[in-house]
Amino acid sequence: MSLDQPEPIFLGGTVGKSVAKPDNLEKVQGRAEYIADLYRPGMLHGAILASPHAHARIRGYDLSEAMQAPGVVAIITGDDVGEGRMGAFIKDEHAIAKGKVLYVGEPVAAVAARTEEEARHACRLIKVDYEELPAVLSPEDGLAEDAPILHEQLADYIKVFDAGAEGNLCSRTELSEGDVDAAWAECDVIVEDEYTTQPQAHVSMEPCGALAEVDPNGRVTLWSANQSVFRVQANVCESLGLPMSKLRSMTPRVGAGFGNKMEPHIQPITVALAMKAKRPVKLILTREEDFEMVRARHPFRVRMKTGAKSDGTLVARECEVLVDCGAFADDSPGVMGYSLLMCGGPYRIPHMKASGKLVYTNKLRFGAFRGFGNPQVLFAGEQQIDQIGEKLGLDPFAIRRKNMLREGDQWFVGPRIGSNGLGRCLDAVERASKGSRADGSPRNFGLSVTAHISGLLGTGAIVKMLEDGTISLNTGATDIGQGSDTVLAQICAEELKLPFDTVAVASPDTDGSPYNWGTTASRVTYTTGRAVKAAAKKVVDQAMNHAAEMLECDVDDLELREGGRIGQRGSNSDVTFAQISGRAHWAVGGPLVGSETLVFDEPTHDPKRAIALGLPFPRIGVFSFAALGVDVDVDDTSGQVTVHEAWSAADVGRAINPRLVEVQLHGGFVQGLGYALYEEMVWDGARLANPSLMDYKVPTARDVPDAIHTYIIEDPDPTGPFGAKGAGEIGLNAAPGAIANAVAKATGARHVHLPLTGERVLAGMLDPGGPQD
Amino acid sequence: MTEVLSPGTIEEAVAMLAEYGEAMPLSGGATLIAMRNAALVEPSHLVSLDRISDLRGIDRTADGKIRIGAMTRHCETAACAELTGSLYVLRRAAGMIANRVVRNMGTMGGSVANADPAADYLPALACCDAMLEIAGADGRRSLSIHDYIDDWYETALAEGEIITAITLPAPVEAPSTYRKIARVSGDYATASCAMALDPDGQGMRVAIGACGPGPLRDRAGEDALRGKLGEPAAVAEFAGKLVAIADPVDDVRGSAEYRLRLIPRLVSSVLSELTTQKETA
Ligand SMILES: Cc1cc2nc3c(=O)[nH]c(=O)nc-3n(C[C@H](O)[C@H](O)[C@H](O)COP(=O)(O)OP(=O)(O)OC[C@H]3O[C@@H](n4cnc5c(N)ncnc54)[C@H](O)[C@@H]3O)c2cc1C
Repeated sequence: MSLDQPEPIFLGGTVGKSVAKPDNLEKVQGRAEYIADLYRPGMLHGAILASPHAHARIRGYDLSEAMQAPGVVAIITGDDVGEGRMGAFIKDEHAIAKGKVLYVGEPVAAVAARTEEEARHACRLIKVDYEELPAVLSPEDGLAEDAPILHEQLADYIKVFDAGAEGNLCSRTELSEGDVDAAWAECDVIVEDEYTTQPQAHVSMEPCGALAEVDPNGRVTLWSANQSVFRVQANVCESLGLPMSKLRSMTPRVGAGFGNKMEPHIQPITVALAMKAKRPVKLILTREEDFEMVRARHPFRVRMKTGAKSDGTLVARECEVLVDCGAFADDSPGVMGYSLLMCGGPYRIPHMKASGKLVYTNKLRFGAFRGFGNPQVLFAGEQQIDQIGEKLGLDPFAIRRKNMLREGDQWFVGPRIGSNGLGRCLDAVERASKGSRADGSPRNFGLSVTAHISGLLGTGAIVKMLEDGTISLNTGATDIGQGSDTVLAQICAEELKLPFDTVAVASPDTDGSPYNWGTTASRVTYTTGRAVKAAAKKVVDQAMNHAAEMLECDVDDLELREGGRIGQRGSNSDVTFAQISGRAHWAVGGPLVGSETLVFDEPTHDPKRAIALGLPFPRIGVFSFAALGVDVDVDDTSGQVTVHEAWSAADVGRAINPRLVEVQLHGGFVQGLGYALYEEMVWDGARLANPSLMDYKVPTARDVPDAIHTYIIEDPDPTGPFGAKGAGEIGLNAAPGAIANAVAKATGARHVHLPLTGERVLAGMLDPGGPQD
Repeated sequence: MTEVLSPGTIEEAVAMLAEYGEAMPLSGGATLIAMRNAALVEPSHLVSLDRISDLRGIDRTADGKIRIGAMTRHCETAACAELTGSLYVLRRAAGMIANRVVRNMGTMGGSVANADPAADYLPALACCDAMLEIAGADGRRSLSIHDYIDDWYETALAEGEIITAITLPAPVEAPSTYRKIARVSGDYATASCAMALDPDGQGMRVAIGACGPGPLRDRAGEDALRGKLGEPAAVAEFAGKLVAIADPVDDVRGSAEYRLRLIPRLVSSVLSELTTQKETA
């Protein structure tokens, strides 16, 4: 869909240009400051003692020997943290284990000492008296009649979102449209299967870390690696019983998040240690701890059934998921609900039913991870689309074009779709991937499409014109490396018709920044960008009023000119931002500040068309679309899959910074390739068997194709800043489905389990029709 | 705290190892330093072999054999032009170890001493019928690679002994190669295969890695196969014997079942690669 009135793009402005991120230089020079680079006077170092048990009651602690160890200043345990609990959906989590431990690796005690080595040494001297309890290691076990219960006080917890929590059931969601049960009779082809997907680790370059300091008045300053200073503030304050005004949360540079740093990690523990030690404390997890303690992508069990008419028209789909929540709810109810909302894919399917159960288990929490439940269901759904196409003789492009959502359609359950460039994404991929390889050999081609939202919740922006007419922009959005500071500055500069480098972006700080829910849900460009544009517009309006007075003319006769000038239309006379801002600061009206806050408020659910129980996001966002094609090789000897070439096209509304969109598509694809082919957190009983980069493998530069072609499709969204929508997750979603489709083409075998390891693919090659393990 | 000692000769080094019971030899440090950082080993002293010039270099001896000093780094072995024909397998294995960073650090002596069952040198050396030169406080000895591995991570090296060099028979003109199956580039092998054809093309030597405590080699089976390399049934029967002596584990790189499945596939695909090479040569 195009805009009724396309917004005029200022030629020569910065929107649409691949401006280099200003922080590139400091990063390549190794001068960017992360938590590890921060020091405070008198600072101590923290270390954590992790639970050796999956499920146990804590009977008591003996800290005497550890307290005597060299360098030790303070030790905290569950006894130090009060009754407060945190959680985005269900407040089920203390700052540190209290009363019980719920997974191997859960923090049980923490030490602050002069050096990290001393702190780690003292941890080993802490004695904890445990009463071991039987553990729940799978959602199936968790739902068993006589299953041990993880959260005995679940009924009493504060629930921001309450969807049937009981026993080990954390939430359930049921969405439906049309009449699925009756619709199967109308179908000429039906495919059905059960799929499983594995847990994936985020493996951010920077492990989780925090530094906390308490001032003489008891107010806490906290720096941490995070995706939202405001969620950090909320989580620490809820779990430690502090008023939010008593904690200032900030962030230095962040070495990626991918969802891992959105909700709490060790910030509450670090603050508790600093409060007890009465000295600043820095705590950084080792790579192994980062794997074992924090969170990971949810393993899913998906039962999916899809039916179509003989001409390929999709009629019905049913999807049932069973999701491992891990020990704490965290973002899990959101992930499961979102996966069900997305399980139909970007297709018109008149009859849909989606249901899911989320079950507590004695594993680390599963939580937000780029894709947020979408890749899991797409792995199933996009294979079924191909299977139906195969049965009916429709190629993968044809069956998708035939069924894709069009302009004016609503998404499953009801959200409005703004712009939709999916057809153009398919065109771009088809055109580029057509034919054979350069050497003439045929391709093993696989295709998948996807949609993803960008939106959700509150955000704000403050634009200040400084005395000299340059700009300070403050949004509270954390740039985790993806370049949001750059993009937001571009939006601000564009609206003010200023050069990009006149806009300085303030570092997120709960004291000075307007609220921002977080760098998550592919939302910053879209939601925060809207706030920035509106706030900048307010500054322009104020400047216009000054200019009218200064030039003694009517505001309507004025125009904003490139480079920070306002002049009278048809005349050369103008005033500069510096003159205007000087006047405002020293003489008339006061300094120029524009601010805007907003919350995404369009409803998800349209009760006229759908039934929705346990819908986690009543207001969700706008839709981006993408198509991904891959051409794979399968090694005859080992069954190992390599992706030879990939084509990724995404409709992002408008690319504020095309280069940054491209690298999101590249990075998303590579992370999705790792998920599709290699990455898997493996449990040996209750213990994670591969919490290191020696044993848990992410793709290296040599495992990804040289050619990952990207195509940016711009179908501007009427509500987005300059038409922009999100681009952060959409590049990952389609990878497992596209790769599985290509493997099926190459080997003749359909796979229902991720990852597609050499072992699995070889088994499929040897017995394409057989059951695939 | 660990103290680092820097002897200048082999004799000094072994004397230091004998003197300090908790001492360990330090070569490239790629494995040892990581283990120490993870508190998996806590040596009182590290005896660095770095300054001992006798441990360096790749030389051809008077009788044509190749002698590789224990401190030879993987990157040097991977670039060594002397390793041709029947010895090319070793050069190729060296180039497939980990990544450039590790290849710039790690040494052949350190790798052989470490005896990781999934390491790349062991099958390549077994395929070459290498000899290990060993020095200890009581003197020097040499040992066939086939008598070296006792069990998982257990070797015939006695406490305080170091590997000083690896010697290989003179290279002959015959194709050889190394194939490694790994999850991603830079990972240890899930399974691997070192193979060299006989100069007349009638027989082969083959060693399988990562499917037991040490490389799998069946020399009697190889003899029986001579003259029958072109018979798939005979090759399959031979591969079956390797499967029978394999003792693979289930781990994060793959199941034991997968490894057993890979052995005959590796043998037949590497064999066909080498025979094609031989024919086109
Ligand atoms: C990330 C990573 C990936 C790797 N991937 C692979 C791989 O794919 N394939 C592979 O084969 N290897 C791999 N390795 C291992 C690598 O090859 C190491 O270099 C090698 O195992 C040890 O060599 P080193 O010289 O660094 O020995 P060190 O680390 O110095 O020592 C290793 C051990 O051997 C002992 N030692 C050292 N030298 C001697 C000697 N001369 N005599 C007796 N004992 C000695 C030490 O005391 C220590 O116990 C990898 C290592 C790393 C860190």
